[in-house]
Amino acid sequence: MTSTPEMPVLDIKNYSLDYETANGTFHALKGINLSISRGEILGLVGESGSGKTSLAWSIMRYLSKNARETSGEILLGAKNLLTMSDAEVEAMRGQRISMVFQDPSTSLNPTLSLGTQLSEVLVRHRGLTRKQAWAEGEAMLAHVGLKTPADMMRRMPHEASGGEKQRVVIASAFACNPECIIFDEPTTALDVITSRQILDLFVELQAETGVASLYISHDLALVSRTASRVAVIRRGEIVEQGPVQDIFANPREAYTRELCAAVPNPSRRLVADGVTKTEGEPLVRVENVSVHYGRKPLLASLTGKAFTRVKGNNAVTLSVNEGEILGIVGESGSGKSTLAKAMTGLNPFEGKIWFDGRPITGLSDMDTAYRKDVQIIFQHPDASLNPRHKIGEILSRPLKLYGDGSNIAQQVGDMLEKVRLPRTHADRYPHQLSGGEKQRVAIARAFASKPRLVICDEITSALDVSVQASIVELLLDLQKAGNTAYLFITHDLNLIRQIAHRIAVMYRGDLIEIAPATEIDSPERADYTRRLIAAVPLPAGSQV
Amino acid sequence: MSPNYLLKRLLMIFYTLFVVSLIVFAITQVLPADAAVMMLGEHATPEALDALRQTMGLNAPVWVQYGHWLWALLQGDFGTSLRTGQPIGPAMFSALGRSLLLAFLSIGLMLILAIPLGIIAAIRRGKVADIVVSLISYLGVALPEFVTATVAVLLLADWLKWLPPTGYVSPTEDFFGAIAHLILPVCVISVILIAHVSRMVRSELVDVLHTDYIRAARLKGMSRGTVLRRHALRNALLPTITIVALDVGYLLGGVIVVEEIFAIPGIGRELIVAIQARDLPVIQAGVLIMAATYSIVNFIADMLYAVLDKRIQYD
Repeated sequence: MTSTPEMPVLDIKNYSLDYETANGTFHALKGINLSISRGEILGLVGESGSGKTSLAWSIMRYLSKNARETSGEILLGAKNLLTMSDAEVEAMRGQRISMVFQDPSTSLNPTLSLGTQLSEVLVRHRGLTRKQAWAEGEAMLAHVGLKTPADMMRRMPHEASGGEKQRVVIASAFACNPECIIFDEPTTALDVITSRQILDLFVELQAETGVASLYISHDLALVSRTASRVAVIRRGEIVEQGPVQDIFANPREAYTRELCAAVPNPSRRLVADGVTKTEGEPLVRVENVSVHYGRKPLLASLTGKAFTRVKGNNAVTLSVNEGEILGIVGESGSGKSTLAKAMTGLNPFEGKIWFDGRPITGLSDMDTAYRKDVQIIFQHPDASLNPRHKIGEILSRPLKLYGDGSNIAQQVGDMLEKVRLPRTHADRYPHQLSGGEKQRVAIARAFASKPRLVICDEITSALDVSVQASIVELLLDLQKAGNTAYLFITHDLNLIRQIAHRIAVMYRGDLIEIAPATEIDSPERADYTRRLIAAVPLPAGSQV
Repeated sequence: MSPNYLLKRLLMIFYTLFVVSLIVFAITQVLPADAAVMMLGEHATPEALDALRQTMGLNAPVWVQYGHWLWALLQGDFGTSLRTGQPIGPAMFSALGRSLLLAFLSIGLMLILAIPLGIIAAIRRGKVADIVVSLISYLGVALPEFVTATVAVLLLADWLKWLPPTGYVSPTEDFFGAIAHLILPVCVISVILIAHVSRMVRSELVDVLHTDYIRAARLKGMSRGTVLRRHALRNALLPTITIVALDVGYLLGGVIVVEEIFAIPGIGRELIVAIQARDLPVIQAGVLIMAATYSIVNFIADMLYAVLDKRIQYD
């Protein structure tokens, strides 16, 4: 049963998986050959829909009813998982193979304490009593770097931060000393600095236990820094696999090369520097803008009790020049989107915004002219495009509102072409488009009024890396064509270092500093900025 | 849950009851009923009527009458029935007691049946069991109480003679007799409630079973049964509390039909009699007591929710 040093822990041989769907058979995995040895980290890289998660479910024996395994075997040691009984599978899960999930806030039961969820694994697989398991769980939480393990055991999931929760999930994955652990994008849902800490923890525990690890990710830069071998998967097929250095230094397959090229790399700047040095007034100047959330509770206002409101933005001052791309970075909750909402009138704010020399102090000052000049694009095109309107209708709204209203159909077609979509897409509904196409429609809508400032709020973070690259390319072309200024909000530091002229760093509602993109990694930067930069893995082989 | 919030909710209950009292009083003012005529009969002399109006304060402005009524109410005095001449309070509360007994027994029976049915339907989704449960629930929703009640009486009381057809026996006097008399009405009411709650439990559980944390628990090696018991049910059953609390509203109103059919002297039946007799003080008191019961039950449901789900923090 146990594997010898020369024998891989997990060996997938010519494995194929189909899904029977209403539209016929979908080949999710085709002839997969992969193996992971003890002490090894195999990175599995692919875009959404490539089959990387399907493979994880196959290994965990968690397949939906319409799944058909058409060929191959998955060997754990000498045992073929495909022939295991349900009882054997249940005994295997969590004990011999365990899994760490993407989002700790959804993978933990919200109504059970963290301790209960950790210790139940120990009770199940190691036959401990509840009391023993609780004590053991406490020791484990200490081991994964939680400062107050006894307290953490008793906490409910909503009382812990994302990083703390992911540490608990990791502790339960390592709880029974499994032979193999599958990590399914374990840091994607976390903030930059937290995800770096989780990654460091993973590397440390992996080295300590020597567990064979399958690290699934869409983030090539991250995988290139953690894995020893990488497999690139595309449409259910392994395109290429080998040692990290080989894959990233000289990829053999065209797809791998494309993928590597699409990864944001700060050393490859995509904009020309120094063109935006304009004399005189900047296009927009945000002056001491503060945003507060929350309302005074009834009783507090009756009794005159002091009440502290939640701070969204704290006296933020910054400016954007004509044709400039200003990046705004920061962790979630740092006030990036709050600022965007204040500037578009979606949030009430205190302070002043100067736009083209005109003072704006509130929603009432944001007239049609201002709205025409300042447009916003949101993160999820699914949520920002009306699912019941055709693309043509969606795009004709700003044209009627801001344009002369003549020849709408012609103009809609032109707009679609401008964002490199076929004119015929005007007759489609949003759900008939891919994620990248939908975001192009959202971009077209924002550009319909020929704005001077476009606020991009995390517009590429829901997209695959190759789609992101094409969207960014489109945005830069549009920017050059119209000399439009961008306020580009993102948490992807590598991306923003490629495309922004200047970068503003925010932290808990405060603006920490603004620096030219090329100098963001200089040692003179503020403490927080340096921590942020240090936390982001650069793609292998890149030097800045 | 802060004391702040508790106080706020209690204030809200009083506010609700105040508004209800205004509405009730306003409605009874426009009803074509004269309390004096009611008491003395249609053949009373105008002089006698006038004298009575004077003593009852019926000639005073409406707001003065409302003030008097409310003031007495706050002191626990619900007034006197025009029909019987008895104080309303004790009669109403013992009727409410009988209605609540019926309601809670029905809710109890419903919970015992509806939750397992909902769970079975959710686990065997799309299978025969699910379809059967759905069918039962739809039947329960589709058939009005008077149909199910009539069928039940015909079948079990009239033909089989297993149970008494109508009437009410106090459980303190004759316990088994009381139970025999309660079985039919409780079953009729439960059928309708079962439909609501089993559908609710089913859809909540289906949702919960598709969450990431259920998958995570299964992939930790927990068995199907453990995952269902420990991880899924708690989360799936929480929203049922709200539904049950809302159903109490239905019970207080909808139970009138059932009380009428089975001749149970509950608060619904009291109200019907009062409406037929244009017994204004009884109508006012009855509606107010129902509104108060409903508010309090919903308040308890909200509190229970916060106790069971630690994430909910009212402030």
